[in-house]
Amino acid sequence: MAGQGIQRREILRILGTAAAVAQFPGFSKWTFACGHVGNAVLQIKPAAYNPQFFTAAEYALVERLSEMIIPSDSTPGAREAGVAEFIDFMVASDPDSQYPFRTGLTWMNAHSERWFGKPFVDLTPEQQISLLEPLAYKDKTRPGEGDGRIFFRQIREFTLNGFYTSEIGFKELDCPSLKMYAESPECPHKDDPEHLHVSHPIS
Amino acid sequence: MPKQVYDVIVIGTGAGGGMAIKTLCEAGLKVCALNAGRRLDPEKDFRFHRMPWEMKFRGLDDPKRRGESYGYLDNEYTKAAWEHEIPFTTAPGTKWMWPRCFSVGGKTNFWGRSSARFGDIDFRAASLDGYDVDWPITHDEIGPYYTRVEKMIGVASTVQNRPSNPDGSYLPPFHFRCLDRILEAGSNKVGVPYLPDRCAQLTQPHEGHPACHFCGECTTGCDVGAFFSTPYFLLPKAEATKNLELRTNALAKNILTDENGHARGVAYIDRKSKQEVEVYGRAVVVAASCVESARIMLNSKSRLHPNGVANSSGQLGRNLCDHLYGESVRGYLPQLVGRPPFPDHVGDSTIAWMPRWQNLKDPHEEKFIRGYSVYPDGGCQDFPGFATGLDGFGSSYKRDIKRRYPSPVSFGIQAPTLRSDTNYVDLDPEEKDPYGIPVARLHFQWDDNVLKMWDHSKQVCADVLRAAGGVVEDIGDEPEMPGFSLHETGTCRMGNDPKHFVTNRFGQTHAVPNLYVCDASVFLNCTDKTTTISILTFSLRTSEYLIENFRRGEHKAA
Repeated sequence: MAGQGIQRREILRILGTAAAVAQFPGFSKWTFACGHVGNAVLQIKPAAYNPQFFTAAEYALVERLSEMIIPSDSTPGAREAGVAEFIDFMVASDPDSQYPFRTGLTWMNAHSERWFGKPFVDLTPEQQISLLEPLAYKDKTRPGEGDGRIFFRQIREFTLNGFYTSEIGFKELDCPSLKMYAESPECPHKDDPEHLHVSHPIS
Repeated sequence: MPKQVYDVIVIGTGAGGGMAIKTLCEAGLKVCALNAGRRLDPEKDFRFHRMPWEMKFRGLDDPKRRGESYGYLDNEYTKAAWEHEIPFTTAPGTKWMWPRCFSVGGKTNFWGRSSARFGDIDFRAASLDGYDVDWPITHDEIGPYYTRVEKMIGVASTVQNRPSNPDGSYLPPFHFRCLDRILEAGSNKVGVPYLPDRCAQLTQPHEGHPACHFCGECTTGCDVGAFFSTPYFLLPKAEATKNLELRTNALAKNILTDENGHARGVAYIDRKSKQEVEVYGRAVVVAASCVESARIMLNSKSRLHPNGVANSSGQLGRNLCDHLYGESVRGYLPQLVGRPPFPDHVGDSTIAWMPRWQNLKDPHEEKFIRGYSVYPDGGCQDFPGFATGLDGFGSSYKRDIKRRYPSPVSFGIQAPTLRSDTNYVDLDPEEKDPYGIPVARLHFQWDDNVLKMWDHSKQVCADVLRAAGGVVEDIGDEPEMPGFSLHETGTCRMGNDPKHFVTNRFGQTHAVPNLYVCDASVFLNCTDKTTTISILTFSLRTSEYLIENFRRGEHKAA
């Protein structure tokens, strides 16, 4: 666990997850996302993360893309949930994903250079969105971007996996398995079994 | 030195073996049970409420190992419980997935808990439609045993008055969720039944076992034993009699026979010492699960049993049947979009079912004979898998996922194959496991009849979903691989005629009177229903028949 020092050991002691987390060198934001200490927010600033697989430049691009996919807005997003760290760890653990991932990131930067003369992370947010939208929306596809669409699906899947398996992701959805129940839960809409007149509060 | 002779050697501690062990021990017989794997520790080997972020790979398992996984059951929470060391082979053109839990209790540690009885529509199917032969039993005869098992293990359901799915003795059912009420309305419009499943899960405390606390983690092992499994429900009773010796990591190799062709014990491999060990008994019960029991018996060759023990009919290993599983239809319910989350995950998907409604009055009404059931499910689960089907990224995508979270639904078919000459188990002529024992080789193809059921289900489930006001997003293409259902039957079929069946109607092999079979291998075929409660029921009956034979002096020590 080079480079983590006393600060991280202190986090681990507080969290009590040493057995699990100790195997993952450099997991700073992810331990932040675990939040085992009830709901108390850890005040320790996470140390910088040393990627296991990606180069520093690749990792910055993974961070930016995952944060565009699940942004921090009115609720926490991929950044707070440490999704980029998760992606780096999973790709490092999965040799079959490494070549496609690396090729995909290279494609993104080549594509960005073609359009705007700069690597993707150096573009403005509007420019970045303009490149991502044709990869992400069926009705906005452009010819010649098939490789980009495939890579976008891959990094989006990794982002979803990393975000929605974190405690932040569970809380985002208010996942019912965060609770237990004393009785078999029952539909309360006895007068409207087809649910034609129920409310839809989540807009 | 006199060798110890037990009354009964039981191979396997799953549903069939577990029931045999408990019943025989309580009757005063000395039982030596052999289990191919180890005892499980719920705290280590079950999910035990661990959340994905506590797992090294977030519950998704090591990507390098995913190729050897058995899919949804063999995941990061429970992978140490599943068997991976013993290989098997498939004949050219056969695809087969064979999830085996060789740990004590077998698949009962993780099963789906759906527990409908077989009925006369199943036992007498051949009389109705002309295919194959009838079972050597009626619901009148086996009904009382089903009732005793239901009372022993606790099954939650309602009385439904459908002879094709006979009612039993039930605890209060799981309540319907919002999605069930909506789908029920649609189903009724199409004329398809939508009913509480028969779920072997305790909605109230039962026989000293605690009620379910609705955590939805059933198929990754229950931390409190609120549903039936051998280790929680049967082994403690057997152990209390002091008549049981359970040997773990004991991989049964073959059944030993004497010069008269009678069983005298079992040879097994001690997986710790790698040594072959013999254990002797006055009778032997094989309950290693359908394919493995056939493998053990086929490997038990001797002068009087050149083709495997008790194989005078030539049917040992043959007549393998399986359930075709597949996601017939997937979609979502707009009525639930934007709703607050609901605990849809409780019962781990075993709340409602659409029991067979085809060919009930006229056995040839449809283009296929017999029939299938459908398990509907959906709603708020641990992971929003539907998100990969939505376009886009960003805040609107994140918001769409949250809004759509309560709304996904899917329909899973459970359709039985018919017995066929193409579907059977034999021994691979070349390949052996790490202990030098020939491995099982599977030969299996889906038949036309079951593929017609699969096609039929896609149309009907789409009709149901649309009638419910839902949106159909995907129609099933290929079904799951054969073996996925874990409901194999048929390799030691029961019947009155020794020329065509391996065991008699009590599960006693025709050729070897002190050799009995207590798992799904005795069933003539799959039905539209699952197998576990029937395995328990038939095993109870076989065990009592065996006890009666002991009392009459039929089984003497060698």
